[in-house]
Amino acid sequence: MLTVIITGLAIGSLYAAAALVYNLMYSSSKVLSVTTGHICMLGGVCGAYFIGVLKWPIIAGLLLSVAIGMIVGLLTEIVAVRRIVARSSDHLWILSTLAFGSIIQQTTLLAWGTEPRPFPRLIPQDYSAGMWDQKFWLPIVCTLGLAAAIHLFMHRTMYGKLFSAMSQDEFAARARGVPTERIRAASYAAAGGLGSIAGFAAGQLTYAYFAVGLMLTLNGFIALAVGGIGSNVGALVGGALLGVFTALASYYFGGEYQQTMCLGLLMLILLIKPSGLFGTREARPV
Amino acid sequence: MTHPLFGRKGAGALALLVAVMLPLLSGDRYLLHVASLIGTYWVLIIGLNLIVGYMGQLSVGHVGLFAIGAYTVAIGSGVHGLSPELALVIAGVLGALCGFVLGVPSLRLPGFYFAMTTLGLSLIVGEVLVAQRDVTGGGAGLPVPGFSGPLATPSGLYLLVVGVAALISLVSWNITRLMWGRAMVSIRDSSVAAAAIGVPAGRVKLTLFTFSGFTAGVAGALFGALQSYVTPETFHFDLGLFFFICIVIGGKGSILGPFLGTVVLTLLPEVSASFAVVGHFLYALVLLFVVLLVPDGISSVLRWLIERFWPRPNPPTHRQLDLPLLASALRSPGS
Repeated sequence: MLTVIITGLAIGSLYAAAALVYNLMYSSSKVLSVTTGHICMLGGVCGAYFIGVLKWPIIAGLLLSVAIGMIVGLLTEIVAVRRIVARSSDHLWILSTLAFGSIIQQTTLLAWGTEPRPFPRLIPQDYSAGMWDQKFWLPIVCTLGLAAAIHLFMHRTMYGKLFSAMSQDEFAARARGVPTERIRAASYAAAGGLGSIAGFAAGQLTYAYFAVGLMLTLNGFIALAVGGIGSNVGALVGGALLGVFTALASYYFGGEYQQTMCLGLLMLILLIKPSGLFGTREARPV
Repeated sequence: MTHPLFGRKGAGALALLVAVMLPLLSGDRYLLHVASLIGTYWVLIIGLNLIVGYMGQLSVGHVGLFAIGAYTVAIGSGVHGLSPELALVIAGVLGALCGFVLGVPSLRLPGFYFAMTTLGLSLIVGEVLVAQRDVTGGGAGLPVPGFSGPLATPSGLYLLVVGVAALISLVSWNITRLMWGRAMVSIRDSSVAAAAIGVPAGRVKLTLFTFSGFTAGVAGALFGALQSYVTPETFHFDLGLFFFICIVIGGKGSILGPFLGTVVLTLLPEVSASFAVVGHFLYALVLLFVVLLVPDGISSVLRWLIERFWPRPNPPTHRQLDLPLLASALRSPGS
């Protein structure tokens, strides 16, 4: 039973990390980028390639994976978001980020293959540890660390203050001389880096597999919607809730219906509290 | 003035008729298969076009309903021995039912939520198809029996596909031309304004979503008969994305545009083997380019070209003042 909950928390923390990435991109551009999950997936695949296939030292593999994540995040902003947001058209960003996410996924598929491949051990440990295995606690610790880092950054540094100013009112921030364009680009690069770290840390849990991207895009979004868009606490709670819920559900009803359970939870929360658990109610556009 | 039959519409209809008959007359089995495939996809895409192109609801998960249609025929007529024609109708009804059930909660959601819910639907259907091994054959899939009688031959099946596609095209063309079409476009462009002038947005959305479920079910059934074997692998999310991309590159609020999109995108991987390998990569690339460069799709380019090189005879904008008529009107007020 405890194993089930630990498994749920571990996978839930990955969902929470994806939700944090969504949040970071959303705060500066009001765009929910479909590339989120694919960037996290890239972290795992790059890690497996650099460390598992090329036999690089772990730290070099991690750094290069993060760098690739940041580049892809930045590319998302340059290619799929910048011009669309400037044009301020209706939901065109869904299409552009969907297309870009699909390009990432297909590139990975062509370059890496269609089968899930194992991720190398990061810390020497034998496989008898059971529920204390590193593949469970590594993603949990990593996500908590990332959330703490985001919190400190937002509240303790000057750039963090600029960030939150921009997310509250872009127009006013611009009027006060905040370089909004540059901050948006920076937030996408940072989000890409964070996603890559999370995917790297959870690599042993998910394996290096291209389809993880789409799954994380959906489940990260569900975690975010459950917790409330814009709230980092909500992202953590939503992710943990979703992970434990699906783990318990597949323990009792069998593992084949995970996606059904996730979507069911989303519908339930949206019925009860449409703004999510920690979300703020938005004014109706009239 | 030209004769109406030889006007723009007549020429278009004639060209379409020739294009439809071409695969039949050429006698090339492969060409016939590809043409049938285009027709099958088109049956789904017409319905989806009403949702995406006219109503602006971004559904990427119609492949789920498509799979339901295909498996209905496989199970209904393959396992339980129903006649395939009856199974075709049942597939449509079941697709409509599933569309309705999906539409009730999800159509209330705003853009991104709706897209994610439909994405979820396609994943759920894939999961169920693999999980319910006893009913669906699991990952190994099921054979689909062909239609009987004259419809059993490839050309018979092709004619059936064309007939169904033409019928549903006609229905949806009428939908878009009349009151419903105006309601849909108003929902797409401003749902608040639509509600203010009394468009029952929820009902319109749900009705048309159910209709699109019907077309998806029928298309799935035809697809099953065409492929003669179905596996869950076939109905991957990428196929749903393909349908969606056909419409987006075609352009919103157009029927001809998505049709061209379907034909071009289906033919693209068939032209060359190297395209087939990178097929979905190519689709995504095309989508990105269209969204960034021509957000209104190829139909806007087409419209511009037609107006440029084949302009509609404009009614004269200046009129000579008809003095005697004015004088007579002034002389007898009230008549």
